[in-house]
Amino acid sequence: MTSLIDESRPDDTKEFARAEDQDRPRTIAAGLPPSDHVFRAIVRAIGVSVLVLTGSIGLFLGYQAIPTFKRYGFSFLTESQWQPQLDKVGISAVLLGTVIVALIALLIGFPLAFVTALYISEYAPARWKSVAISMIDLMAAVPSIIYGLFGFAFLEPHAQDLARWLHQNLGFIPIFKVDTDPNAASWSPAAYFGSAFIGGICVSLMIIPLACSVMRGVFSLAPIGEREAAYALGSTRWGMVRAVVLPFGRGGIIGGTMLGLGRALGETVAVMLVISQTFEIKFTILSSGTNTTSALIASRFSEATSAQLAALLTAGFVLFLLTLGVNTVAAVFVSRSRSGAGVEI
Amino acid sequence: MTATTAAPQAPDVPRVLSARSADDIGSIWGSALAAVSFTWIAYYHLLSFSGIVGFVVVTWFVFLAFVAGVTLVGNPVPVLFDRLATAILTSGAMLILLLVGYVLIFIYRRGWPAYTKANFYTQDMSGVRPTAPLTQGGILHAIVGSGIQIGIATAISVPLGVGTAIYLTEVGGKLAQTVRTVVEAMTALPDILAGLFVYTFLIIGLHWDRTGLTVSIALAVTMIPVIARSAEVMLRVVPGGLREAGLALGASRWQVVRRVVVPTARSNLVTSIILGVARIAGETAPLLIVSGATIFFNADPLHDKMNSLPLLIFAGIRSGEPAYEQRAYGAAAVLLTLVLVLFITARFIARDKLAKRARVERPAKSPVLPTLEAGNAPS
Amino acid sequence: MTAPDSVLAGLDFDATARHRGGANLEAHNVSAWFGSNKVLERVNLTMPARTVTALIGPSGCGKSTFLRILNRMHESVPSAKLGGEVWLNGDDIYAPGKRITETRRRIGMVFQKPNPFPAMSIADNVTAGLKLTGMRVSRSARADLIERCLTRGGLWNEVKDRLHAPGSALSGGQQQRLCIARSLAVDPEILLMDEPCSALDPTSTRRVEETIAELAPDVTIVIVTHNMQQANRVSQQCAFFLAAQGTPGGIVESGSTAQIFGNPRDPRTADYVNGRFG
Repeated sequence: MTSLIDESRPDDTKEFARAEDQDRPRTIAAGLPPSDHVFRAIVRAIGVSVLVLTGSIGLFLGYQAIPTFKRYGFSFLTESQWQPQLDKVGISAVLLGTVIVALIALLIGFPLAFVTALYISEYAPARWKSVAISMIDLMAAVPSIIYGLFGFAFLEPHAQDLARWLHQNLGFIPIFKVDTDPNAASWSPAAYFGSAFIGGICVSLMIIPLACSVMRGVFSLAPIGEREAAYALGSTRWGMVRAVVLPFGRGGIIGGTMLGLGRALGETVAVMLVISQTFEIKFTILSSGTNTTSALIASRFSEATSAQLAALLTAGFVLFLLTLGVNTVAAVFVSRSRSGAGVEI
Repeated sequence: MTATTAAPQAPDVPRVLSARSADDIGSIWGSALAAVSFTWIAYYHLLSFSGIVGFVVVTWFVFLAFVAGVTLVGNPVPVLFDRLATAILTSGAMLILLLVGYVLIFIYRRGWPAYTKANFYTQDMSGVRPTAPLTQGGILHAIVGSGIQIGIATAISVPLGVGTAIYLTEVGGKLAQTVRTVVEAMTALPDILAGLFVYTFLIIGLHWDRTGLTVSIALAVTMIPVIARSAEVMLRVVPGGLREAGLALGASRWQVVRRVVVPTARSNLVTSIILGVARIAGETAPLLIVSGATIFFNADPLHDKMNSLPLLIFAGIRSGEPAYEQRAYGAAAVLLTLVLVLFITARFIARDKLAKRARVERPAKSPVLPTLEAGNAPS
Repeated sequence: MTAPDSVLAGLDFDATARHRGGANLEAHNVSAWFGSNKVLERVNLTMPARTVTALIGPSGCGKSTFLRILNRMHESVPSAKLGGEVWLNGDDIYAPGKRITETRRRIGMVFQKPNPFPAMSIADNVTAGLKLTGMRVSRSARADLIERCLTRGGLWNEVKDRLHAPGSALSGGQQQRLCIARSLAVDPEILLMDEPCSALDPTSTRRVEETIAELAPDVTIVIVTHNMQQANRVSQQCAFFLAAQGTPGGIVESGSTAQIFGNPRDPRTADYVNGRFG
């Protein structure tokens, strides 16, 4: 660029010509009013303190793994007994029980949640739709101790009958085996009391509204254009659901289910009220006795020495990793799917 | 109009179109009646089974079989699947919805002898044996205890939770991303671990006593991530255009948040706070670890143990004493009522918003042509 | 105006074809309401077989509502009501006892916004209607059917090597032609088209118009269009809809396209076709 600087001109025109050479962004001072600085500082402080508070819990739990593994070694993960007097502690039975109870809850809860969600979203008459949605949200709001009461007082006897029927007719399947004679004239319900089966039934009551809400929200987002296309081809309602709603809602179905699974893993009170705690590695779900990590913690914390307390915290940490993992997978499934655009889980 | 003629015409009124044909209705009801009677005979008399649960289950399967059979005569296969799907989905949903109602009825019925007495609400259990009849003693200490614990927990959690949410949506930045990730992760924390953390850290570690305050802290630990997350969603839903409008008028960020964003999201925020309170009202697991139980009335959160509704319920059911159990059911009914009231309040506040949103979503289409809405399907 | 015979040659309808050359559709005193708001006033129109009938008129005068009444999509909106009768080859489609899914199979529809099923491949999209209505077709006949429908829809050459790509992976114009092919697979007697080109670019528009011309001898077509020149190009019959301020819409004039555009009887028609209002 030829120099436009005329040395004979006064200084200000030289400035102008020089500035033209430099086409770069300016740094701009934000110029915020003082109230904004205060606002940002306060709000940032709140956010950071919440971060520290909540994050330190996770770190604290994880940190307990060090003394635990130092003292009990790797057998902590393989030992099934929890005998504080002998200082013999392990979480294998408890972890297995947690997973089994959660899986049973999922097996019962998923079909019911799916069916209810699809009904509300696609089949319910317009007048009753909001009523049904409110009922499901209410079901989610009811505290777990209420479901524990209901399970203990109402469901348990019926579950024992059902367990006996399963034992009688399907007892050849290994998981349904129980150590008694199902066809004995007088049978003791105690053989079926407090099993993983009833624990799973109780927990499913908590999974169902959670999974149902997520699935229903996702189904209702299925695009209207595609629905109309299916109807215009002569489809029945179920045909439209299968062609449009279900493929669209796949992410929500999986995500909602996994969210329910996460909840099932961490459930404490409902489980504690209905199961009888034992410490054995068992896969027979109808027979009396099972255990979960949260029930273990709730029942053994008071008599724990400081080392055993650290062990309990480590068990809790393992549980936390499980629920965190499941929730993260759920979020990924929902956000990656077509339906994930508008849904918060 | 060229189409009309001078001759008198039939009045121009809408036709009545039925969504279901006579064949649809007849098939369903006919199959239902046939299933019940067929199963009645086969189940009870021919095969001599007993038990009503089995009868209902078998009737249901027979009903589906009849519907399938009847439909296949003269209807194409998609109609069969459609009818079966309708039957299965409807009965499944009805089962769940009726179950919810039954749980409520069950609790209220079982607790009836306890909560219908005035002394239930005015006395505590001091000087009263657990086996004493229901005319003596009450759960006042548990009600008040729950109220104080929930109140303090809410007072801690709401400012921290909403403040965090405001930080995440209004200030943002790299650190905010970390905060968001951690807070979201902590919503997955099982509530019993919050209790165990407070127990280990405060009670064992710092030698605090088991007071109402320790319980409130444990509850707050669970509540803060939940409130922060739902409040963040509610704030994010506020359109960015509103914030820009405020800034363009010369307002500071703080003024925009205070006068534009929060008022716009206010009813949603209140709803999510109320639902958060409802959630911790029923929290039992942390209480099992952190709270001490007492029979005495105690309104001081800083000293002495404080009882609460969930704890009383849990202890009562576990005890095996009939009178104590009944008190527990009575307390459960009170707890359930508290949760219901909070839930209905939240719904009520949100109701206007839902109605407004439904109305606002129309104008994109021409007013003459509303189109098919999700779920409003023809049969 | 008939399509050249070469298009028909080699296209052999299999035994599932229940008709030849489309059916005729008549609307008798059709009125429509949304709630208490009347939007159509006693519309009478005959849409003859093997012709393309265009419904023209400014926006908001009920053309699309009328179209949706023709295949019983109108009643899917909760507040929608209608009066009058719609005869398909002399039979009222709204008579009690008429199966709605069968009516919709016989009277197909292509929508303004293309809506292929994204979860299905192109080939599966074409046969989606068969699956949804339970029409059986053998495996060998299926490939033939897909080729035939895509050819009739004017899309075969562009997608024949990627029939398993997802249905949403096409351009807007291609998607719309896929939707046309999909509607044709269930062998409808009538095809309704609700402004099928309004979301498309000019080249795709031209291709769709060519497709309409090729289809006309086999399928009666009723097309709603905003574009007068398009109506002039593709249709043989025309109906001009109009709704005065605050009154329900209705037909001002109907007749052959040549007459509507060349020698309209009503002054409002003349104003519209000459572009004096739009």
